[in-house]
Amino acid sequence: MDLSVIDWGDIWQATWETLAMTGFSLLFTVLIGLPLGILLFVTSKNQLLEQRGLYAVLSFVVNVLRSVPFLILLIVMIPVTVLLIGTSLGVEGAIPPLVVGTAPFFARLVENVLREIDRGVIEACQAMGIRTHRIIFGALLPEALPGLIAATTVTAITLMSYAAMSGVIGGGGLGDLAIRFGYQRFQTEVMVITVAVLVVLVQLLQYSGDRLVLYFTRK
Amino acid sequence: MIHIENLHKTYRVDGREITALRDIDLHIGKGEVFGIIGRSGAGKSTLIRTLNLLERPSAGRIVIEGEDITRFDRAALYQLRQRIGMIFQHFNLLNAKTVAGNIDWPLKTTGRFSAAERAARVAEMLELVGLAEHGSKYPAQLSGGQKQRVGIARALANHPHLLLCDEATSALDPETTQAILRLLLDINRRLGLTIVLITHEMEVIRTICDRVAVIDAGRIVERGPVSEVFLHPKHPVTRSMVAQGDALTAALLDPAGLGDKVRGLPVRLTYLGDVTYQPILSHVAAISPARITILQGTVSTIKDQPYGQLLVEIDGTAEEVEAVFRAFDSFKIHHEVLQ
Repeated sequence: MDLSVIDWGDIWQATWETLAMTGFSLLFTVLIGLPLGILLFVTSKNQLLEQRGLYAVLSFVVNVLRSVPFLILLIVMIPVTVLLIGTSLGVEGAIPPLVVGTAPFFARLVENVLREIDRGVIEACQAMGIRTHRIIFGALLPEALPGLIAATTVTAITLMSYAAMSGVIGGGGLGDLAIRFGYQRFQTEVMVITVAVLVVLVQLLQYSGDRLVLYFTRK
Repeated sequence: MIHIENLHKTYRVDGREITALRDIDLHIGKGEVFGIIGRSGAGKSTLIRTLNLLERPSAGRIVIEGEDITRFDRAALYQLRQRIGMIFQHFNLLNAKTVAGNIDWPLKTTGRFSAAERAARVAEMLELVGLAEHGSKYPAQLSGGQKQRVGIARALANHPHLLLCDEATSALDPETTQAILRLLLDINRRLGLTIVLITHEMEVIRTICDRVAVIDAGRIVERGPVSEVFLHPKHPVTRSMVAQGDALTAALLDPAGLGDKVRGLPVRLTYLGDVTYQPILSHVAAISPARITILQGTVSTIKDQPYGQLLVEIDGTAEEVEAVFRAFDSFKIHHEVLQ
């Protein structure tokens, strides 16, 4: 393997692009997925704001979005992305499909994390005469924090691999580099390096996520 | 304090009606420690949860301090629940908050107190339950008994008039159970707080309750002062609850196990109060030549009242035995001739 053929400037920039795609789409995924997950939880059966109809609709939409393979979603989303931000290419162009692909996934994780909280804790809060929104934001979310951080870590890693996949439709970042140089121009070295960088990034994400979970765990 | 009238609760499970409570009528006085005992599934848990409307009754009235709470709207219900403390079998503390944070939580959410008032109240509550040193710890760092103390402090923080205890000692070892019960009794006496508790352990009832109701299959089958129900249980369920976990009491209620060793007349004696510590049998022996043999017996306390329960065999002529019974009567010792 001849590492001299590698343009380290390209690698550096692609890494930054991948981080930017992951970071921004993670931000929007959490902004959309967290409320959606909370809503799924509180409207489900025997929960604080049980609303069977609403739950059924939300749950169906989430399932539909989750059943579309991401590669297909990338292509299907192109017109929507163009409508939203003017282009389907580059870092910006990758963010809408990434968010649409992972927000439902994250919402399900949030719902499950909240479901793990002892039912008795909610009952105790109700018995104290605490209003439902205070129970959700003052008790449930703090109780669920370690689980929510773990869910965010899993989602961030999923996003990073999806971000690399968006290279197929010209999404920018490490995936784009790997496809253009590693695959189309047969530069195995570029392929190896991009994979190595991704491995390092995923390890870093998982490690910091685990540390945060540990820090906030009170059990 | 609390009047429950004609309370019913039915659930629909898979399209079928299940009756959890039927025809419940109860009156609980102010400052009283009232126990509700029953086997699991008897409905006691549902019953205590109707008192703060965690369970909505299907019919009937629940009047607390003169107000029918079943008619309350949402806002009134929040207010009511803030005035009723509740503690739980599994404590149900917030793991993400410190001990002080847990006690502060119900105060903070009412928005009625300043930070300084809340801090003072939290310190006072920590002192009351004997956890003054542990305010900054997290629940996971505490023992079961300490967690329940936090539960009690949290329940009392908002100055409730009524404390509901849902199997509050069932997850604790016997020694810790006694300590928690003593704390509850102490709080009941010092603050004049009314306590309603549910349990499946007669021991809990005997230790702190003034009156008890026995619930079975959603119905109250027996009720009365604890000494009365404990020493003279009538309903089969009550008898089995009194006998459970206590071989001595079981034998006192049902001496069949003694078999053919009994030659004379088997008699169960029960007595309450100061007479417990008087030399009654000596007096009786001086009056009648009948021979009295103690077969089984307990001397203990119901709440703080001493009581005794003896299974004796009386051997003598009808006249001699009659004299013994008269002597018992004069000492206010209840006797019951067993088959």
